[in-house]
Formats: sequence, C-alpha cells, structure tokens
Amino acid sequence: MKAHFSSEQISRWMAGDPTPDEVQHIRECAQCAAEAARLDSLLAEFRSSVVAWSAIHKAAEAPERWKPLQQRGRVVRGALRWTMAAAALTIAVTLPICKNVNDRRHEAEEFRADARLWEEVNDQISRPVPSSLEPLMRLVAWEPDASQK
Amino acid sequence: MQAAVESSRVGLEDFDEVVRLYWQCVHRFILASTRDADAAQTLTQDCFLRAYFARGAFRCQANVKTWLMHIAVNLVRDFGRNRRLQFWKRLNASATNPGDVGDHLPAAAVSPEDQALLKEQVQIVWQASQSLPRRQRTVFLLRFVEEMDILEIAAATGMKEGTVKTHLFRALQAVRKRLGGSK
Repeated sequence: MKAHFSSEQISRWMAGDPTPDEVQHIRECAQCAAEAARLDSLLAEFRSSVVAWSAIHKAAEAPERWKPLQQRGRVVRGALRWTMAAAALTIAVTLPICKNVNDRRHEAEEFRADARLWEEVNDQISRPVPSSLEPLMRLVAWEPDASQK
Repeated sequence: MQAAVESSRVGLEDFDEVVRLYWQCVHRFILASTRDADAAQTLTQDCFLRAYFARGAFRCQANVKTWLMHIAVNLVRDFGRNRRLQFWKRLNASATNPGDVGDHLPAAAVSPEDQALLKEQVQIVWQASQSLPRRQRTVFLLRFVEEMDILEIAAATGMKEGTVKTHLFRALQAVRKRLGGSK
C-alpha cells in the first residue's frame, strides 16, 4: 500500500483536482478517506454557519417588489415635479409681499420728498423780500443802536 | 438548494422571480467577501440593477446564478479597489464582526466539547478565508459557501478551469495550515 496523503494531496483532492492514483488511493485507504471526510464535514459546517450568519442581516431578505431605476426615475421625476410646484407656490406667495413692502418704502420716500419741498416753499413764501434782494435790504436797513454810536 | 433546482427553469423574463430566487445568495457572497453590511446591501442592489439593464445581453444557455455571480464578483473587486482610497468611508462603515460566524453553528447532536471544538475550527476557517488573497477568497467562497462547481466558478470569475483549481488548492492549503492540519 502506498504512503498516506500529504497535505498537498488532501488539498488537491478537496480542490477537485486529484490524479487517478490519488482517486484510487482514497478508495483503498480508510485513514485518508476519513481525513478528507473530516475536512469536507468542517467545510460543510462552515457553509452552514455563514448561511445562518448572513441571514440575520436585514438586507439578506429579497425585497417584496423589485424597483429598477426606471421606476425610481419615475419617483424622482414625481418628486421633482412636487418640488417645482412648491417653489412656484413660494414665489407666488412671497412676491406680492416683497412688492408690497417695496411699494410702501417708495411711498414713504415720496412723502418725505414732498414734505421737504413743502418746507422749502414755505420758507420762500415767508421771506419779506426775494432772496436776491436780501443783500440790498441789509444795506438800507436802519439800525438805531449802530447810528448812535 | 431550492434555488439551484429552480435556476434551470427561471429565465430573465420575470425579473421579480430572479430577485426572489437569487437575492440571498448574491447578498451572502458579497457580505462574506466584503464583511461590510452596508456595502453588501448597496452592492447587492447594484448587482441586480446591472443585471436588469443588461438582461438583453444574457445568453439563455448560461446559468442565471453564474451570471449574477459574475456581476457580483466584479462589483466586489471594484469595491476592494475603491475602498483603499476611502479612508473616511472605512471609518464609518459598519464592518461586520468576523467573530459572529462561529456563533451561528446549527444545533447538532454532538457533545458540548465537540460543539466548542467545531465552533473554534469554523472560526479559524472564517478568519483564514478573510486573510486570503482576493482571488483565492472569491474562489473559496464560491466553492464552499455557494457550492458552485469548478466550471461555474470559472464562468463567474472569468478564470480558466485550471486557474480556479490552482487558486482553490492554494486557498485550501492556507486554511488547512491555519487549522494546523499536517496530514
């Protein structure tokens, strides 16, 4: 009987790449067959553990309904439409308010300008002589205290 | 197993059925490869999205699972490349704890001592598979978790049959070395 399998031969057997001699040997050698079976069993347990471990993750469950990008695109387009409608509504509401505030500011400025003009007119009207004759009036003005001195 | 039986019948006409049948195995493979729950969720969705848009190019003689796994393998590879640059993403990623796997051994009719030993060995296999080079890990997971045969793995990874066997052999050698197997 040939020598038992080496580590490489066991691995090659498990990798599914045995030579015809190795196939023949494992049929005849209970010890090597047991070693291969032991490794096979361990890898089966490994598989079961990974399957059970991955199944506890939330994303492991298949979605109820598959939604590819086209349907997502529809959702995105719908959302975009709602966003644009909301933006238009916001503009429609805020624009008159802004306009009203501007109008009021403009009215206040006009009122102040009118008031200033009115004051200037009043000043002009209340003068005894026109402003161009005021120097002459100062020359002819009689000041009793000044002449006595 | 049920998915394997049904896979021969299902085409891509009913994509909801494809999702129902293969979502779990695609997610499981990606999760075991990346060990990142968030990435696994995103990449699984991405995998089915790509499959959906490329379903016209799918050849009926190919296996749907193999085809989906081919997409998943490429996504995991790209994720590994991008991940090296994404330091902040790595910090925030909810990386799974590799120690979790050993806690999910199915209840078996063995003594507590044997159960503890088995748990320890499964844990070692899990950790050893994590430290394997990317290609070896991919081949190892496809063979021993997804139970795909050599030809299916070759189709899913785009490798030659001999290359798959070589990677599998090296992966098994590394795992057995970690297990302390000397025979």
